[in-house]
Amino acid sequence: MDKAAELLPGTLDMLILKAVSLKPLHGYGVLLRIRQISKDALEIPQGSLYPALYRLEHHGLITAEWGQSENNRRAKYYTLTAAGRRRLREETAGWNRLASAIAAALNTTSEEV
Amino acid sequence: MFKRLLSLFRVLTRRRDFEEGMSEELRFHIEQYTDDLVRSGMSREKAARMIRAELGSPINIKADCREAFGVHFFDEFRRQLSYAARLLRKTPAFTATALLTLAVCFGANLTIFAVIDSVLLRPLPFPEPDRLTMIFNTYPKAGVDRDGSSLTNYYERRGRIPAFASLSIYGYGTEIVGEPGSTERLQTMRVSPDFFSTLGLGPAIGRTFTDEETTSETNHVAILSDTFWRQRYNADPNVIGKQIRVNSVPRTVIGVLPPAFRFLSSDARVFLPLAARLEDRAPSRRHSGGNVIQMIARLQPDATLAQAQSEIDAQNEALEVDDPQAKMIADAGFRSLVVPLRADHVAAVRPTLLLLEAGVLVLLLIGAVNLVNLLLIRASGRVKELAVRQALGAGWRYLVSEVVVETTLLTFAGGLLGLAIGAGGIQLLRGLGADRLPLGSRIVFDARLALVALVAAIIMGIVFAVPVACFHLRRHLGNALQSESRGGTSGHGAQILRHSFIVSQIALAFILLAGAGLLGLSLQRVMAISPGFQSDHVLTGQILLPWADYSEAGRLKFVESLMDKLDHLPGVLSAGVVNNVPFSGNSGKSAATVAGHVRRPGESARGHYSYGVAGDYFRAMGFSLRAGRFLTADDSRRSARVCVVDEDFARYYWPHASAIGQGLWDGSEAGKDAEAFTIVGVVGGVKQAGLTESEAHGAIYYPYAFRIGDSVFVAVRTSLPPESFALTLQKVVRQIDADVPVSDLRSMDTRIADSLVARRSPALLAGLFSGIALLLTSIGTYGVLSYAVAQRRREIGLRMALGAQPGQIRSEFFYLSLRLLAGGVILGVIGAWLTGQAMQAVLFHVPAFNPAILAGAVFVMALVSLIACLLPSQRAARISPMETLAEE
Repeated sequence: MDKAAELLPGTLDMLILKAVSLKPLHGYGVLLRIRQISKDALEIPQGSLYPALYRLEHHGLITAEWGQSENNRRAKYYTLTAAGRRRLREETAGWNRLASAIAAALNTTSEEV
Repeated sequence: MFKRLLSLFRVLTRRRDFEEGMSEELRFHIEQYTDDLVRSGMSREKAARMIRAELGSPINIKADCREAFGVHFFDEFRRQLSYAARLLRKTPAFTATALLTLAVCFGANLTIFAVIDSVLLRPLPFPEPDRLTMIFNTYPKAGVDRDGSSLTNYYERRGRIPAFASLSIYGYGTEIVGEPGSTERLQTMRVSPDFFSTLGLGPAIGRTFTDEETTSETNHVAILSDTFWRQRYNADPNVIGKQIRVNSVPRTVIGVLPPAFRFLSSDARVFLPLAARLEDRAPSRRHSGGNVIQMIARLQPDATLAQAQSEIDAQNEALEVDDPQAKMIADAGFRSLVVPLRADHVAAVRPTLLLLEAGVLVLLLIGAVNLVNLLLIRASGRVKELAVRQALGAGWRYLVSEVVVETTLLTFAGGLLGLAIGAGGIQLLRGLGADRLPLGSRIVFDARLALVALVAAIIMGIVFAVPVACFHLRRHLGNALQSESRGGTSGHGAQILRHSFIVSQIALAFILLAGAGLLGLSLQRVMAISPGFQSDHVLTGQILLPWADYSEAGRLKFVESLMDKLDHLPGVLSAGVVNNVPFSGNSGKSAATVAGHVRRPGESARGHYSYGVAGDYFRAMGFSLRAGRFLTADDSRRSARVCVVDEDFARYYWPHASAIGQGLWDGSEAGKDAEAFTIVGVVGGVKQAGLTESEAHGAIYYPYAFRIGDSVFVAVRTSLPPESFALTLQKVVRQIDADVPVSDLRSMDTRIADSLVARRSPALLAGLFSGIALLLTSIGTYGVLSYAVAQRRREIGLRMALGAQPGQIRSEFFYLSLRLLAGGVILGVIGAWLTGQAMQAVLFHVPAFNPAILAGAVFVMALVSLIACLLPSQRAARISPMETLAEE
C-alpha cells in the first residue's frame, strides 16, 4: 500500500469512467478494478468514490441499475453511457497530451536548452 | 441542463428509494470489503477498523452524494420551511395580522384584475384580433356623434378599400324562435356573408352565408351558436338541414359555430343573413345608418389604421360629389371613422376600470408598507438570536435564505387566502353589475388568474425579504450582542424608515379616501338630476311583434286592444305605448324638417329623438305639459297628422314664439303641405339616454300609426308598487297573443337606478377600498407606536423615576403621532388633488379640489390615527419605573 501514489485532482472521474467502460461494475468493483488496472499503483480515496459516482450519474455520463452481484447480493451496477464514452475519449486524449508534454519537459537536459 | 433537472426531479419524487439505495450501496461495499480482508487473513475487528479509516464516515459520504445531485438544497429548504412555520406559529397575532392584510390586498387586486384582464387585456377570441376595426358614420355638427353604417356604405366599400382584407356589417336583434307553443325570445345577429371571414372564425360544422342569401326571398337559412345547438339540439351532429322557426318563418340550419365564438358582448344564439332590398342599397340611402347596422373590417397584415382612414375619407369624398344632399352632409361634419374594434367597444368603461385598478394597487402598496414595517419590527426582536447564530458560524447566505423562506411562506399563504377572497370578490362584482360591462361576461376566476396571483405572492415574498435581510446583515455583530442585551434603543435610521412608512401609508390612505369621496359626491350630483318625468309607480316592458305575424294594421290592432284591456284593469291609472322609453339602453334619433325654418350657414338637418306614442303615454310616464295638449288615443289612428314636441325642440326652432300650430316633416327634407305634422302640444324635456345627458337634442312624439316598428314599450302607471303589476301585464299580453312575451320588465325607477350602475359600483368599491386602507393604516400606526413604546420602556421608566409625569409621556407619543399624521395629510392632499385631476373623466361636475371632501378625509384620517395611537401612549404612560429598572 505504501507504494501507492496519491491521485492528482480531477483524475478520479477519468479513472472511474475507464473502469466502468470495460464492464458494468458496482461501486466496490470500481475500486478493485482501478487497483487492478493500475497494478495497485493508484490508491483512490474511498470516501470520494461514491460522491464521484453520483456526480457522474447526475451528469448522465454513467447510468446505474440494480442487479445481482457474483455472490447473489443486490448491488448497484454502473454502465458507461454514450456521453460518458465521449467524455472518456476526450479526457484520455487530453491527459496523454499533458503527460507527454510534462514528460518531455522533465526529460530536458542542459544541452538541449 | 434540462437533463440534470430531470434527474434531480426523478430523485426528488423517489426520495426514499434514493436514501435506501445509498445506504444499501455503502453497506454492500463495507461487507464485501470486510469479506475480502477476512479472506486474506485479517481479523474482523481489524478489518472493520481499517475500512472505517479508509472510507470515512458514511454520514459524510451520503451528504456528499446528496450534494452531487443537488438534493441537499431541498432538504435545507424543507428544514427552513418548518423553522419558519414554527416561528410564525409562535407569534399568532403578527401572523394573523399579516395573513389577513395579504389576503385582503391580494383578494381585492385579484378581483379588479380579473375585470381588467377580461375587459381590457385578454384578446378577443379571433385570430389576430388587433387587425379588427370598427367603422361608423359621425355627424357631429348635427348632434349625432355616432350613427353606425348603412347598407349602401357596405356595398360601396366592400372590396374597394385596399387597406382592408375583409369588410362586413351586422346588426343586433331579438327574435322569437321555436315552434308555436314553445317559443322563446332570443338574442340574434343579422350578418353579411363575409362577417365570419372578417372575424377569422367561422362555423365548426356546415357553412357560412352566401351572397345569394341576402334577399328576403332567399334568406331562409340560419347558423346556430354552440350553446344553442347544445341546449336545443343536444349537440346533434346531423343538425345541418333541419328546420328552425324564427319569427314564425321556417329556416334551414346551415351551420353551427365553435364554442369559442363570441362576438364582443353579444349573447346571440341564432345568426341570420342580413337581407335587404336592392333599393335599400341605393346611394340615396347612404346616410340612413341610425345605429341599426354596424360595420367591422379586418386590416391587411401590413396596413395601418391611418391608411384605412385616409382611403375611407378619399372614397367618401369621391362619392359625395354627385350626392344631392352633399351640402347638408358636409355641413353636418360628416365623416366615417375607423377605430380599433376592441378599444372602441370598451372605451366607455376604460377610465373607470383603470381608476379602480389604481385604487387596488394603492391598497396593495399600503398593505405592503404595513407588512414591511411589521416584519422589520419583528426582525428587531430577533436581532440577538441572529447575532448569536452568526457568531456561532451561520453564514449570511443561510440567514438570507432563511428570511426569504419565511417571508415567502407568509406571502404565499396570504396569496392562497387571497384566492378565496378574490373568488368571493368576483361574485360581489357580479352583484354590482360587472357582467353587464362590455366583455364583462368573460370575467372568470380561472387557473391562469390563480397562477398570476401565486407568482405575484412569491415575488412579493422575495421583495419583502430584502429590507429584512438588509436589516440583519447591516447590524454589526458585536454591537448587536451588546446593545440588545440591555434592551437599548434601535438605530436612528431604522426609526426614520419606520416613520416615513407610516407617513406614506397615511398619505396613500388619504388619497383613496378623498378619491372615494369625489366619486360619492359625483354620484350624488348625478342622482340629484331630475329625469324630467315622474319615474315612480311606472312599470315598463318591451313587446316584440314579428313582421311575419303582424302587418302594420295588425300591430295597430294589437296596441289598441292592449290599451283597451289595460285601461279597464283595477290599479291602472294610465297606460301608453311608445317605440322607446327613456333609459331603455337604446335610443333612436332621426331628422325632422321644420316648416319655414331657414338653416343658418353650416347648420344641417338635426337629429331628434323621434318616437311614436299611443294610448295615454304622457300621463303614464308623468311628463309635464308646457303648452297645448297631449296626444290622445284618437290621434293614434291615422286620422290627424299632429305631433307633440318637447321644450328643447321648441326653444331651438322658436326661441321667441310659440311652437303650437307650427308644422314639420318627418325626414331631412320638406315635403308636401298635406304631409306636414302640426304641433299641438309642448312637453317638458326628458333625459332619454341617461341622467348626465348634457346636450338637449329635442324630441318629437308622433301618433303611433305613423311610426310603427316591430318593437314597442308599454308603460303603465299604477296605484300599487309597479313591480307587483308585472305578472298581470304579462297575462294581459298573453291573452291577446299567447306567443308574444313581454321582456325587459322594469319599473322606471329601476331603469334609472340601473343606468347609474357605472357610477354607483365604482363609488361603492372605492369606499370599500378606502375602508380597508384606513384599517390597514391604523394597524400600521398602532404597530409602530407599540413597538416604539416597548423599545423605550427602559428610558421611559428611568425618566419617570427622575420625576417625569405620565401626562408628559402620553403627550410625547401623542405629538409623535400628530407629526406623522400631519406629514401624511400634507402629502395626501397633494396626491388627492392630482388624483382628482386624473379622475375628471369619470367625475360629474366635481372639481379636483373639493374642500369639503378634503376636510372630511382629514377628519376621518385624524380620528383613525389618533385612535391607533391612544392605546400605545396609554401603555407608555402606565410604565412603572420600579418594574423596568428591576428588569435589568
